[in-house]
Amino acid sequence: MRRLLLWIGISVFGAFGFGSMALHRGEQINALWLVIAALCTYAVGYRFYSKFVAAKVLALEAKRATPAERLEDGRDFVPTNKWVVFGHHFAAIAGPGPLVGPVLAAQFGYLPGTLWILVGSVFGGCVQDFVILLFSVRRDGKSLTEMAKQEIGHVAGLVAYASVIAILVILLAVCALVVVNALKQSPWGTFTIAMTIPIAFLMGVYLRRLRPGRVVETSALGFILVLAAIWGGQWVSLHPAVGNYFTLGAPGLAMAIILYGFAASALPVWLLLAPRDYLSTFVKLGTIGLLAFGIVLMHPTLRMPGFTKFIDGTGPVFAGKVFPFAFITIACGAISGFHSLISSGTTPKLIRRETDARMVGYGAMLCESMVAIMATVAACVLEPGTYFAINSPAGVAGAVPEKAATTISSWGFPVTAEAMHRLAQNVGEITLFNRTGGAPAFAVGMAHIFSGSLGGQTLMALWYHFALMFEALFILTVLDAGTRVGRFMLQDALGHVWKPMGRTGWYPSALATSAIVVAAWGYFLWQGVRDPLGGINSLWPLFGISNQLLAAVALCVATTIIIKKHRARYALVTLAPLVWLVGVTFTASWHKIFDPDPRIGFLAQAQQIAAAGGNARLVFNNRLDAVVSAILVVMVSLLLIESMRQWMAALSGRKPSSTTETPFVVSRLAEERG
Amino acid sequence: MKALRVLHAILREIFEESAYERFCMREGVLRGRESYAAFLRQRRVRVKCC
Repeated sequence: MRRLLLWIGISVFGAFGFGSMALHRGEQINALWLVIAALCTYAVGYRFYSKFVAAKVLALEAKRATPAERLEDGRDFVPTNKWVVFGHHFAAIAGPGPLVGPVLAAQFGYLPGTLWILVGSVFGGCVQDFVILLFSVRRDGKSLTEMAKQEIGHVAGLVAYASVIAILVILLAVCALVVVNALKQSPWGTFTIAMTIPIAFLMGVYLRRLRPGRVVETSALGFILVLAAIWGGQWVSLHPAVGNYFTLGAPGLAMAIILYGFAASALPVWLLLAPRDYLSTFVKLGTIGLLAFGIVLMHPTLRMPGFTKFIDGTGPVFAGKVFPFAFITIACGAISGFHSLISSGTTPKLIRRETDARMVGYGAMLCESMVAIMATVAACVLEPGTYFAINSPAGVAGAVPEKAATTISSWGFPVTAEAMHRLAQNVGEITLFNRTGGAPAFAVGMAHIFSGSLGGQTLMALWYHFALMFEALFILTVLDAGTRVGRFMLQDALGHVWKPMGRTGWYPSALATSAIVVAAWGYFLWQGVRDPLGGINSLWPLFGISNQLLAAVALCVATTIIIKKHRARYALVTLAPLVWLVGVTFTASWHKIFDPDPRIGFLAQAQQIAAAGGNARLVFNNRLDAVVSAILVVMVSLLLIESMRQWMAALSGRKPSSTTETPFVVSRLAEERG
Repeated sequence: MKALRVLHAILREIFEESAYERFCMREGVLRGRESYAAFLRQRRVRVKCC
């Protein structure tokens, strides 16, 4: 009875939070209402919905031995405490996506993004991560592409593989573009990020030569050095000669990042990639905790309204209506196909008991969703005029500060060039106009929250650069790990054509495949840098579409397995988010390809540029983006058709519905526990 | 206290200190430069999400 009352209380409190969020029109609300609505939703979702999925849909069995137990080898398969796996899994899934997407989607107001993050995660993202994790556990830790091939067919396996490659290339390009936009004309930020490379080298040498294996200690030392670099950055930026070296435009930064990506993929892992990975994880976990603390302590007021007029599709940050664009702009934080790769990668090989999969798969995604809510708060605590001044590209708002301020004020969000200049000075930047990509707006919001709770206005510039460093650091970690993973996938594929190319340690192969992968994402990055609308307008939706289509692939695999397991009556658990995602991504793709508005449709933009006698390369790039979108949609359509054939065959009984699940073996660990 | 122990274990797993310890046990080698270099050679790159 007491428990029942407790859950009724949580539900009522959450409903009150939703009511405060949704029903206050024309009034500013406190950010804590978002946090309360989110925490109550997560609590109810975890307690009831995930329990239903665990018991009815997946029928988790605590006494069934997991591959970590059966195949224990101390290397890949290791039975691990559920909290440890949870932390490990969360550290792998939480990247820059849940920070950047919600900041961009804030152009619609705080409400659409927040509702999508909460509903999308509880019924979509968490379910996807949970079911894929469990199905991988029951298949000896098989990857998503292997499961697609075995459960649906060869076409599905091929589509899943191609989707992974496509998303990887677009993801890396868009990540690099976010960093370029965050660091352009920012000597302080560029210096800080540049310093993380020698710091990583030092950490690598320290770890290998002086204190082998002491990673936590080394990461802590690296973190202290990074803080010193942030502190020192202000002097560097003020020095006329040295500051000049670090004041780079977008093309210069793009070239530097392309070269860095190549070096990180080709250099030994211990020297650059591994220490940077450790350093970024250290900073990431600490900063997310710090941000949560800052929001609760400061409980700032949201300046952004619940809805803005840009839900009609005329937004300056990216063009397109709230449906479908809000739902592809926020992928990580609500539902992200990329997570299915982690859920069918390292994590299933660490799960000690099947029942742990609920907390690890469903629970870790809830935490990522909370990170997305915090990013929404960071963007929405800014004055809307400031938010739009930072996030609107020069091609939309104007390149001159006075002109941009007048344009943005004419949208109903007052801002002045003087106020923006003061803000830029406060955070140690030359300008904050046209800093598209989401990262600078997030950094200003985070600095606003931190400086209100820790250190006051005098530390605002340091907090801003700390936030910028935090984002850029782990975006670059995604970049170098992603390039290397792409290189391995390519080497694996080319190895079937010519054996030596498949040897990861053979230097000519490593160099050639690194160059191909870097060239692929570098091309899209360069395209984004040259785009008159700032690049984010084209690349972020493309990234969102490919990520959500990968989620559709994962949900197709999950639905097929559920139906084959004679649990078709519960198939809606994965089928409903699948139908939603297909609807959203196909609609978004249609708009991105064929919409007559040149700010939305790639083909319309190509036609406009061609008609004006513009750059032929820009025309080609837009047509290429249209082709990429179309290929993604065709691939997923093929997979859907293949899956539906499997479903019909299984439901009609025409074909014996066999799955590749490993047979039940009693867990020794469970017996020991009694 | 238990929470701190779990937190410590999580950090050791994330930062691969536990993996290195398991490697030393599996290979029957002591902690040191050579064994750490060997551990790093067989380390796989972990996919990081966006």
